[in-house]
Amino acid sequence: MANKKIPITRISRFFGSEDFNLEQNMGMEWLHGDMHFTLVLFRVDKKLSDVDDVYGEAGPEEIRYKQPVEFNAYVSIQEPQNKSYGSGLVNQMEPGNMTLSIYMKHLEELDVDISYGDYIGYPEKEDKMRYYVVSNDGRVTSDMKHTIGGYKAFYRTITCSWVSENEFKGI
Amino acid sequence: MGVPKKIKKTLNIAPAPIQGHYPIGYNGITTPYRRKELADLINDDGTYLPKSVLHDDLDRGMLSFVQENLKSVTNGKKVNVIDRILTIQRWAEFSQTWKFTNEDKNVELPFIVVVRHPDVQYGTNPALKYTIPDRKQFHYAKVPTWDGTRKGYDIYTIPQPVPVDITYDVKIICNRMRELNNFNRVVLQKFTSRQAYTFLKGHYIPIIMESIGDESQIDTEERRYYQQNYQFQLQGFLLDEEEFEVKPAISRSLLLFGFDEKNRKRDGVELVKENSNKVKTILEFDNVTNSITREYNYNNNITVLRTKNVGSVTFSINGTMASEPVLISVGDTLTVTIVKPVLGTPSTVTIQEIIVP
Repeated sequence: MANKKIPITRISRFFGSEDFNLEQNMGMEWLHGDMHFTLVLFRVDKKLSDVDDVYGEAGPEEIRYKQPVEFNAYVSIQEPQNKSYGSGLVNQMEPGNMTLSIYMKHLEELDVDISYGDYIGYPEKEDKMRYYVVSNDGRVTSDMKHTIGGYKAFYRTITCSWVSENEFKGI
Repeated sequence: MGVPKKIKKTLNIAPAPIQGHYPIGYNGITTPYRRKELADLINDDGTYLPKSVLHDDLDRGMLSFVQENLKSVTNGKKVNVIDRILTIQRWAEFSQTWKFTNEDKNVELPFIVVVRHPDVQYGTNPALKYTIPDRKQFHYAKVPTWDGTRKGYDIYTIPQPVPVDITYDVKIICNRMRELNNFNRVVLQKFTSRQAYTFLKGHYIPIIMESIGDESQIDTEERRYYQQNYQFQLQGFLLDEEEFEVKPAISRSLLLFGFDEKNRKRDGVELVKENSNKVKTILEFDNVTNSITREYNYNNNITVLRTKNVGSVTFSINGTMASEPVLISVGDTLTVTIVKPVLGTPSTVTIQEIIVP
C-alpha cells in the first residue's frame, strides 16, 4: 500500500511537477547560495549508544554519534530569556529557541534525516558554536504552509531548544 | 466509687512460646521455615550480604510488574508496553518506542506507558518508618574465615534500610472502550486487596493502587482517544551496599598489664605474712606402722590438717587419750595411732602445731 503512487493533479491547470521543481531549485539557490546559513547536524546513533536498561538514558561518554553533517537552512533564533531556577534565585540567561526551515530535497541529497533529540550546532561567531537539541523535527508537513500553493510539501520546520554544555558540547 | 469492670485482675506471668504454631524453626527454636526461605532468596547467588536496592532497581521492579502482571490483550494481540521509564533525554524516548511507531514516528495505539514522578518521598512503610536513629549498624551474618593459619569469623553488619515511596502513573492510551475495559479488569483483579507485590532481588516490595483517573480526549473537533491514568505507590526501601560493613571478629585475645614504675612512695603489701607460731608437720606411716611417738620440749596445741589412707586418728599424751586440739606441755610424749582402711599400705597425717608461749 505504501509503495502505491497516486498522481497529484491539484491545481494542475496552473502548476505541475516541473513548476514545483523550478520553484524549489530557485529557493534552494537563494537559501544555499545567497543566504548560506550553515549548521552542523549531530545525529545520535541510537543503536550504538550505550543506554541504561531502565531509563534508556546514556551519559555524555556513552552516547555515540553518526558522522556530523553540514547543512543549510533558514535560521530564526528567538530572543534570549532571562530565567531562574527557582524563586528568582540562580539567574540564568538562556538563548531562545532556534527555528530552522530546511528543504526536504536538501535532506534527501545529503541522505540524512533530522530526528527528535538530535543535536545541531550553530556557529554564532568565529570562535563560538552554540548547540541546540531538536524538540520538534517537523516530520509531519501536511499543512498548507509547507506546500507551494497546496501542491506538495517541500520544506520542514524544525524547532530546537538550547542545550547546556553539560548535556552536549560537540564531538 | 466502683472499680472499672475491664480492669485486669490476673496477669499471665508464663506466656505461651513465641509463634507456638511453629513448633520447630529453621534454627530449631521458633523461627518459621518461611523466614528462612525469604532470607535465602535475599542472599541467593552472591555474597553473604543482600544486594543493593536503589532507585533504578525499584523502577525496574515496577516496570517488570507492569509487564508481567498487567498484561492486556486486545484482539489476540498484546498491548504494547514501553519497557523503559521515559526521561527528559529526547532521543532516548524515540529509541524506546521505534518498535511500534508509524511512518510519522508516532507511537501506534494502543500502548501502555509507565511514568515515574521524579520526586521520591520518605517512605510510609510502617515496618521501616522512624524506628532506629543514626544509621546504626546491625548484625547480618557471621562468616567463617581461614587465613591458612587461624580460623576466624567476619562479622557482616548493615544499617536499617531507608523507606521510600515512589509514585508511578501507568497510562493506557487507546482508541476503543474494550481495550480500556480489558486493562481495567486486569488491574482491578490484581489489586482486589488494594495492594500487590513486585519481587526484586529477593525482596517483596508492596505496590498500592492509589487512584484511577481519566484523561481521555473526546473533544468534538480534535482527534479522539482514550487515556486513563492508574496511579500506584511503590512502598520500597533503599539498601545501599556502600553502607555495609565487614569487620573481623575476635579470633584470639591478648591481655597486657601496665604498671607505673614512678609511683614508689607507697610500700608494697606482703601477700603472705609469715606466722612463726605455726608449724606444719607430716607424719609418715610405712606399710606396717600404725603409730608414731614424739617427745616435745615446748608447749603447743596440735590439730589435724589432712590425712591420707587413714580411717581414724587417736592421740594419747603420756599414755592418756586426748582429743583435738591436743594440748602439749614441755616434756610430754605424744603417741599418734591410726587405723588404716587398707592394710599394708603407707599413710600420712599432716598436723599443725601452734606454739604456745
